[in-house]
Amino acid sequence: MADIGKVRIRIPSSVKRGDVVRVRSLVIHPMEIIQRDKAGKPVDRNYHFINKVIVTYNGREIFQADTTQSISENPFFSFAFKPMEPGMLKITFLDTHGGKYEGTAEIKFS
Amino acid sequence: MQEWVEGGMVSRRVVLQALGLLGVSAVAAPFLAGGPGTASAQGNLAALQPEEKVDATLKRLFGGRPIKDGSSVIKMDLPLIAENGAVVPITVEVQSPMTPTSYVKSIYIISDHNRRPMNARFSLTPEMGAASIGANLRLNETGDVRAIAELNDGTLLMAKREVKVTVGGCGG
Repeated sequence: MADIGKVRIRIPSSVKRGDVVRVRSLVIHPMEIIQRDKAGKPVDRNYHFINKVIVTYNGREIFQADTTQSISENPFFSFAFKPMEPGMLKITFLDTHGGKYEGTAEIKFS
Repeated sequence: MQEWVEGGMVSRRVVLQALGLLGVSAVAAPFLAGGPGTASAQGNLAALQPEEKVDATLKRLFGGRPIKDGSSVIKMDLPLIAENGAVVPITVEVQSPMTPTSYVKSIYIISDHNRRPMNARFSLTPEMGAASIGANLRLNETGDVRAIAELNDGTLLMAKREVKVTVGGCGG
């Protein structure tokens, strides 16, 4: 699983000032679910999954998500965003093992 | 030896036992504390959401606050029948202005029949321009999926939709 933490971000190719655009992002991550032993008792260990997503634009935080294991493997998130100035959109994914995965996308007006 | 246990096979007793093991500390889950905690052991059982019935989840998250019917303003887009419960795309759109004085503060996604009904919480800001989010869920079995929107004045609005799940995809 060498690909863990690979982040892909897609934004529409042409963006105008004040448009509400849909940002789509994907991160490669196992999002482990809870294992149980034969008796059905959950196995206690540090499960590896993303529990926080933070989106910033030019350093300002615009969106956050708290996630659980009820989110699919290789999680996909999308959200609306209305850029008022060109800049850099950064999405940070944090997981329970201290992993930090980042992806950026530049928004330019056409 | 460990095995993946499908949701339907777990008896109520087992769930209750697990709840007992998690203890009271699990109820005060770090989920709503905001911000990432210490990196170590964040994913262990005590730090996870408690296994509980959906009513208990709603009570824990919102206390006794009234939840209004928001089916006219919340648009949920998700499949009627999910062949694979491991990947169920959902989008939630709340028809609301997104201005600094009136906006949607958070959107909760809660699925009734997952062992941990609380699936995700999205915190929104007026800068997004529209209250619209999407994600892929894992659903354990057929049941309602709820979207609860919290406005900045504290109003709670809820919409729900039933999804039929052919093959469960959860376990958490």
